[in-house]
This record gives sequence, structure tokens and C-alpha cells, in this order.
Amino acid sequence: MSSVPSDKVDVEARRRAAKVIHEKFRKVLDDILKGKPPKLVIPKRTLANTRFDPEKGILVMGEDVIERELLNMGEARRFMQTILMASIIYQALIENEYPTIRDLYYRGKHTIVYRDLRGRKREENTWEEQAESDSVIRDVEVYTGMLREDMLILSKEKGKVVGRMKIRSGGDTIDLSKMGHGAYAIESTPDLIEFLDVDAEFVLVVEKDAVFQQLHRVKFWDKYKALLVTGAGQPDRATRRFVRRLNEELKLPVYILTDSDPYGWYIYSVFKVGSIQLSYESMRLATPKARFLGVSMTDIFGWKGKKPYLTERERRNFIIKAKDLDIRRARELMKYSWFQTPRWRRELKIFLQKKAKLEIEALASKGLKFLADKYIPEKIQTGDWIE
Amino acid sequence: MARASSVAKQTGKTGEARKGERYREMSVAEFFARNRELAGFSNPTRALYQTVRELVENALDATDTHGILPFIQVSITYDEELEAKHGNAKKWFRVTVEDNGIGVPPTVIANAFGRVLFSSKYVIRQTRGMYGLGVKAAVLYGQMTAGKPVEVYSSIGNSEYVYSRKLYIDTEKNEPRIVERGQWRKRSGWHGTRVTITLEGDWSRAKSRILEYIKRTAIIAPYAEIVFETPEGQVFVFPRLTNKMPPPPKEAKPHPHGIDVNQMKLLLQSTNARTLLQVLVTEFQSVGKITAEKFLKQVGIPPDIKPRDLLRKEYNDLLVRLVDSMKSYRGFRAPKSEHLSPIGEDLIKLGLKRMFEPEWVDAVTRPPRAYAGHSFIVEVGIAYGGALEPVQEPLLLRYANKIPLLYEEREDVAYKVVSNINWKIYRVEFPAPIAVLVHIASTKIPYKGVGKESISDVPEIESEIRTAVQEVARRLRLFLGRKAREAEARRKIITIAKYIPEIARGLAMLAKPPEKWSPPSEDEERRLMEALIKLVSRNIEIPEIPGVDHEDPEKVVRSVIENIHLE
Repeated sequence: MSSVPSDKVDVEARRRAAKVIHEKFRKVLDDILKGKPPKLVIPKRTLANTRFDPEKGILVMGEDVIERELLNMGEARRFMQTILMASIIYQALIENEYPTIRDLYYRGKHTIVYRDLRGRKREENTWEEQAESDSVIRDVEVYTGMLREDMLILSKEKGKVVGRMKIRSGGDTIDLSKMGHGAYAIESTPDLIEFLDVDAEFVLVVEKDAVFQQLHRVKFWDKYKALLVTGAGQPDRATRRFVRRLNEELKLPVYILTDSDPYGWYIYSVFKVGSIQLSYESMRLATPKARFLGVSMTDIFGWKGKKPYLTERERRNFIIKAKDLDIRRARELMKYSWFQTPRWRRELKIFLQKKAKLEIEALASKGLKFLADKYIPEKIQTGDWIE
Repeated sequence: MARASSVAKQTGKTGEARKGERYREMSVAEFFARNRELAGFSNPTRALYQTVRELVENALDATDTHGILPFIQVSITYDEELEAKHGNAKKWFRVTVEDNGIGVPPTVIANAFGRVLFSSKYVIRQTRGMYGLGVKAAVLYGQMTAGKPVEVYSSIGNSEYVYSRKLYIDTEKNEPRIVERGQWRKRSGWHGTRVTITLEGDWSRAKSRILEYIKRTAIIAPYAEIVFETPEGQVFVFPRLTNKMPPPPKEAKPHPHGIDVNQMKLLLQSTNARTLLQVLVTEFQSVGKITAEKFLKQVGIPPDIKPRDLLRKEYNDLLVRLVDSMKSYRGFRAPKSEHLSPIGEDLIKLGLKRMFEPEWVDAVTRPPRAYAGHSFIVEVGIAYGGALEPVQEPLLLRYANKIPLLYEEREDVAYKVVSNINWKIYRVEFPAPIAVLVHIASTKIPYKGVGKESISDVPEIESEIRTAVQEVARRLRLFLGRKAREAEARRKIITIAKYIPEIARGLAMLAKPPEKWSPPSEDEERRLMEALIKLVSRNIEIPEIPGVDHEDPEKVVRSVIENIHLE
């Protein structure tokens, strides 16, 4: 599979990632050659070791580390797995491959044969389920301080983008405004994308693929000089990294449009501060300046001077009664410090009072024109978003 | 011997009297003939076992008690003559036991085997039998079931002749009836006794018990050579493991705490002392003149009263008061124990080692103690692991004066103690491969019944057994603790060492810088592997266990990954 790398960015990324891995594990090797019991010092990937950094506006890992020691009975297996996984990733980088996490699982999975103290042959697999090897990948990420995208590990593509911009990827130049009815699938290695001509003024991220398609068909992005992105539900890492780069490198404001329910708000939260389970990625994946455009509770019910976007009748037709699970989720969100701003408190309070939620499609059914030409532009122009 | 004999006869009568008024007119021999279960002859299975046991114990008493290294041959054969007569039933047996002991003088043979309660053993001394009844019970049982006389061949050490007697016991007269006698000049220096008893038995049922009995005898007497031949012609040989024997027990005078009215009467009859004071000083142990005077003064009995006078009817109350006071008086010294013959820690360990090849064995001989005027010594040995099978409760090997006790285990004080020990404290988790040997040596073993199979729970004995078991068990705990740590270290080695080849291979790959990368050579992997083997073995310590070869951790590490090739 070894081939000449097609593009400079790729070559550079590989060189950088391989160097980091080599240096990080060189330490382990040196310890062993010096006769020192080797250990991998890895930041803890637990909820307890996750905290919100209000300054950076993202979730970060705390100071807790685990020392994974070879000579500790409980950790020896994981120690072996980490070395094994690192060596496979390292080799793949050097040999110009793009393994998927499933590939890594298969490449590393084999049987260790050994003898017990009675001399009987015994067998043990390096890992059993992919969940086990995926977890080891996360350890390698945390230990090296790199994301799997940095190590050119592929995963399933999920995110899409269209808009007024040209990019270069894999040596090809792609015009994101010439994708027909389709869209550009955001690749697993978003850091290998080069931004060329940008003629957009903001980024609109929509939670739902269906709404993305509708806005694309009416060429929303063309009319309003935008980049239109979707993560199709819970966004994958590549989409989040891509959005982050748009915001960080091109200084484009990012607006996020989700359903008006706790699930939608959590998706916004993942874009903005990172995911709780994988806080180590936030430094590279989160977009702390992302703005929640809607749909907000005040859009539905109005607030003091604000007139609601829905009439009394529309509310009756479109509103869905919140389920117990939604209520529980909302209560959960209230505990997170980044949801404790006055505006968010107001949202959650209204939600818990009305016990009502609304899908974006409801706004679209009020007329696509309403969504594309009234609701979104008006909210952006009037600054009616939540930070 | 003459005195012992007269004493014994007397005891027999008084003993009989104590059994109950109904039997007053019956001879002792007849009494035992009718109540044979009391002596352990309740059925053909038990009778065969009991016969072997009585003869083997007599044989051992004739040897080790007299400082002779025992050589004992036991054989059980089918009696073909009786078989033919009774329609070929395989239930007639000849039990023969031969020893190399002191022998029985020709003049004594008849009484020794043919008169119930005649015994050389009726002195206060720790011997295996005490009632002098066992072998006669076997003879009686034999003549009642098979109708054949007991056959005895014997020679004493300095005699030029071997004498033989075949005799029955006349149960009504309690007398031996000799039916055949013989005499041969000796061609060798042989001395000892060979006894054959013919009886009805059940070998198929008794076999396992008898084998167990012989085995346990070999455990407690590793200085004896024992040969056992079964009716099928199977021969079991337990060779002598050592020439070291426990010192023979010595005769001792009774302790005042251990006397009863009957014994006191016998003593007063036979004593040469002229006054009660002299009786106390000369016929009892642990009583000096000053102590005796002080005692008599305190209880208010005149010291110069004549022994014979005390036997008169009008003094009966005084005699009873005297004996009661002797039993309870605190001023006497504790009973002596020099005459006791414990087996000793070394011999116990030796015997257990041979039988179970245990991983660990230890034993303790406790200092002498006394109960009711009888001194006793408790010895305990524990064996662990090896050929022992894991069991739900400790395999208990009970001995009383070196006799293995096989029946009535749950009635025994040793069982009570051992089963109530919290073995968890000593790191013993059942099922466990553990055997506990308990030996009680005493001038008087407090058996529960005439069958002599279980010992009563006398508090002093119970507490000594507990202390002894706990003492050895504490040492066992140390061993098991080390063993557990050792096993833990080994487990650790396996858990870690099995990953060495995988880690070496991965690190060899990661060790090559990206700009100059090439697949690592086998040499490079090998070098890393060696470094890892050294590292792991240096950092995991295998605790040493005394008596067990200490293994080099590096060897253990290598054994885990030896000859294993990675895919």
C-alpha cells in the first residue's frame, strides 16, 4: 500500500506525527535500557478529571494523570496494548498508509502464546473487541498529545460542507460552490485541507442533514455569503475540527442552528466546548466562539419586548410535548457551568415551565422562505443569538 | 510378676463388682464372653480389626517399651480347614502376629493368654493396653466363634528354648486349659512371641480399617519395621526409618490425687509400711515426710494408724474421708512425668513425612500436665500438602499411648478441639490438604468406653490439645503466608512476562527514528527482550520459603515465554 505521498501537507503531517510518537516512546525505551521500570504517564480520561475552563471557554482535562507501569499487574496488559497500538500507528505513518480505527483493531489483534508455571501453553488475545482497541487509540492520543486526525487515522465521514470557498485536498482544488445538489464530505483528516479563496462572511452549522439539504437547494449560502455545514446529528471529530479551523483561521463567525430541545442544545455544546467524555480533544476541536442561533425558547414563546416567530396557532400545531428524558437532560444541562449564563438559564427555565420542544423542520414547514430569508438573516442581523 | 498377678486378680474381682450386682456370681471371663461388644468384639468386622489391634499392641509393648527396635510381622490368612468344614464360607481367619520382643516366660504363657485380667501391665505405667484384657477377649472370641485354641510360641532373650502352648480359656473357672505344649532348642538368637488366633471375621469389610490401623501405627512408630500380609497374599512393608526410639516409659507410684478407695484398699493390703504416714511417703509419688505430716494433721487422721487397721470395717468411713482428702489436698507436688514416653517431635515429623510426603510438616511435644493425679503429655503434628488430598475438615490422626484410634472419631476430645479451631486464622481454606496428628501419652487415658476408641473431654486435656494445635498451626500460617506471597510473585511474573515479546517488538519498531526507518532486525528485538527479561526479574522478588528451593526469578520469567514465537 506504500505509495509516494501525493501532497506536501500530507508529507509534512506524517513527518510531524511520526516524530512525536518516536520521541514520546523513546523515553520508555531509554528507561528499559537503563534498567528503570518503564511507565507511561497519561492524563486521566475520566469525567472527574474534566473541567470547564471559563477563560478558554472549553472543556479541558484536569491535572490528574495515571502512571501506567509495566511492573504493575493490573496495568501490564494496557501497557503492552499501548506500545502495540503506537507501533502500528507509527509504522502506518511511515509507510504512507491511512488506516481506519477498524484497520488498527485488526492489525493489532493477534494471539499471545505463553506458558503458565506448570509449563502448559496458554493463549491470550492482544485485544478482543474493537471497543478495547479504540480505547487504546484514545490513550495513544492523550499520551502523545495528538489527535487521531493528526496521526492520519481515518474514520467514517459524516459531515458535509458547501459554500463560497475553494479548498485544496489531496492535491486537488475543490470549489465548494460547485457541488451540484451534493456536498463536499468533510474528510477524516481536516488538517490536511488547505483553505484557498474564501468569499464567505459566516458559517452556518445546522444540526440536521435534511435542513442542510433544503437550505442548500435554495442556495442560502450563495445569497447570504455563507459556508453551510452539517454534522448530521451528533457531529464527528472531523466536522468539529473543520468548523474550528474556519473560525480560528478564517475568523468567520460560526452560528449553530439546532432543534429547540435539550438534545439540540447539547450538540451546540459539543461544537462550542467539547464533549464531556473526550475532553482531551477540545483543545483542538472545540469552537468556543460558536454562537447558538436558534431555535430558542424565546423564538417560540417570545420574551418581554421580543415578539415570537410563531403565532398562537402555529405553536399549537408545531410544538411537541417534552418527554421525561428531555426534562432529565435539561436538568443535567443546568448543572454545567457554561449553561449558567442568564440567557441560557432563561431558555432552560422556559423549557421546564412549558415542557415543550420544537424541531427546526417545523420552521421550515412554515415555509422554507421563512427559514432562509427571514428567520436566519433576521436573527443574525439583530444579534439575536446566545453566546 | 507374682505381685502384679495377685494385684490383677483382685482388681478383676472388684472391677466386676463395680459393673453391677447381677454379675456377682459370674466369672470375669464369662462376663466378657457375654458382653463382648464392650471390648470391641461386637461383630465379625470389628472382631477381626480388634484382634489385629490387640496383638499388634502387645507386640509393640513387648519391644519398644523395653528398648528393642520393633520388627513386627502381621498376617491374616483364610483357615482352610474350617472353610472345608463349614461349606467353604470365606469367613474363618487365622491372625498371626510375631514380634522380636522380650518374650513371655514359659511359666507365664498360660496365664498371660488364658486368664482374664492377668497382665504384666497392671502397674502404673504408660503402656498401650491397660486392662490386660484385650488379648484375652480376642482369645475368647476366637474360641467361641471358631472353636480353636490360641497358639503361642515364645522365647525370652536369655533362654535356650522356644516354648509353645495351645490353650483355651475355661470361662466358668476363668482359667487357662492347655491342650498342647511344646519345647525346642533355639538355633538362632531369636526372642519374641508369635501368637495365632483363629476366629470368624469379615475381611472385606475390615480390610480398609485394618490397613488404616497398620498405616497409622507405622506413622507413630517410624522406628518399627512392620510387615503386613493380607489373605489375598498382598504384602505391605513399612521399613524402619530410624533407630531412634522414644525412651521407654518407667513404672511410677500413684499420685494421691489419682487414687480411689479400692486402689487404696489394695495398696494397704500389700504394703510393707507400718504406719499410714509411711504408706503416704513410700507408696505415693510427690509426697515427702513433711508434706504427709502436714496433710494428716490438717485432715485430723492419726499418722501412726496401722495400714491393716484401716481396712477394718469400723474404719471404713475414715478410709473414705482419707481418700477424698488426698484427692482434693492442694499441698502435694504435681504428678511426676518422667515415666511418660512421648514420641517426640522428630519422630512425629518423620512418620508424617513418610506417609504423606507433605509440603510442610511440623510437630510439638507439650510439657507434662496432670488431670486428677494422672500426668499426661499432648503431642501434635500437622502435615500440609504433598500427597494429602484436599478435604473439607482436617484428616485427624488420633493416638493414645501410641495406639491409633480409628472408631468413634466424633466422640473424641481431639475431634472436638480440631473441628472447633478457626482454621481461617491460620490461612487454611477448606478444602485443604491437611492432616492433624494428636497423641496423648498418659499413665491413665480417660477413654470413653471399654472399647478404647475415644477419649473423654477432660478439660485439662482439651486445653492442652488446643494449645498444641494452635502452636503448630501458627507455624503453618507462617508457611502458608510465605507460600501465598510466593504464589503471588509467580502470578505477577506470568502476568507481566507474557507481554515481553510483544512489547519488545513494538518498542523495537518505535525505536527507529522516522527519517531512517527500516523494519527492526531480529537482533534488535532480541536485545530489547533481554533487557526486559532482566528488568522484570530484577524487580519481582520471589520470597524464600525455608526448606524449599528458591527459584531464580529470571528462570521463571524465561520459562513463561520460552520457545514462544510471535505470529
